[in-house]
Amino acid sequence: MDEPDQGSAHKYLTVRDHLATLVAQELKVGDAIPSERHLSQQFGLSRMTVRQAVDTLVTDGVLVREQGRGTFVAPQRMDFEMRLTTFGEEMRRRGMEPATTVLTAQVVAATPDVATALELEPRQKVHFLYRVRSADGVPICIEQAWVPVALAPTLFDDGPPASIYEALRDLGLAPEWGEDTLSADEATDTEASLLGLGDARAVLRAERRTYSVDTATMFSRACYRADRYSVWVPLRAPRPALVPRRRTEGELEPATAPIAGGRQ
Amino acid sequence: MRPQSKDQAAAILAALGGVENIDEIEPCTTRLRSLVRDASRVDAAGLRAAGAFGVMISGRVVQVVVGPHVDLIATDLDELM
Repeated sequence: MDEPDQGSAHKYLTVRDHLATLVAQELKVGDAIPSERHLSQQFGLSRMTVRQAVDTLVTDGVLVREQGRGTFVAPQRMDFEMRLTTFGEEMRRRGMEPATTVLTAQVVAATPDVATALELEPRQKVHFLYRVRSADGVPICIEQAWVPVALAPTLFDDGPPASIYEALRDLGLAPEWGEDTLSADEATDTEASLLGLGDARAVLRAERRTYSVDTATMFSRACYRADRYSVWVPLRAPRPALVPRRRTEGELEPATAPIAGGRQ
Repeated sequence: MRPQSKDQAAAILAALGGVENIDEIEPCTTRLRSLVRDASRVDAAGLRAAGAFGVMISGRVVQVVVGPHVDLIATDLDELM
């Protein structure tokens, strides 16, 4: 056997892995896990070692403890591929009911960062929509979105649209491509309160520029709660880099020394 | 309208300082990531005029946001290089 302290580390990992396997293969969201007493008997370990294993899974968001009731399988994170779909479309695809709380919907002057992102002059008018998006009653995401008024003057005419992408499609500005910049952060106090976060304040931020052909139609900043949301990114091998076929007929300036050989 | 991709490729290459200023260009999903020899020869305004949606320069690395037709432009760039 191993050294005693190493041994106890292994034992705690055994319980953790056993529980993780149960969650992955047998239990459903909301099911109770076996009691600490049961686990300590099953593995011949102290309650403290068992509790340590459960604690790590609670910290990882796999399990959730409810005071006086027990420990349960936590709701899974939703996997999202970042696509140019609406929040509502993504939620319904997962069998969840989307809902939106509009906090602000107004025309404002573009701040310099918004103007740059939308390729506008600073202070040009933009529609500003500030919303909390929920799925099955749980707040998932806070979203701020800006759309140039010049592009879509009627966007807010019937009140803020339920889906900006739908409204853009109706205006002949169907979102075609975009870029997301993702970052990890902690929620501000306002965000934590809007998302109903407790002690765990980790969030994922996504800053997005949405384009319709060659026009930037929307800039948005979204803040997702990290315990219910993860991002799925499809990957593929890059295309080979393009390298100049350095010609030998003296077209190169002689002053420029080759950086590396073998680039033919 | 967006310029013909061949013209656009030529304009981008010129604004990057010409083929002699290029070490390599890597086509990404919506960007061309270029390693240039001399960043001072890169014309950011020229890249914008060539239809780029954004230009990020960091040292000798120049990222040109061109959108999803990056593959077409890359094919044309390859012919010009």
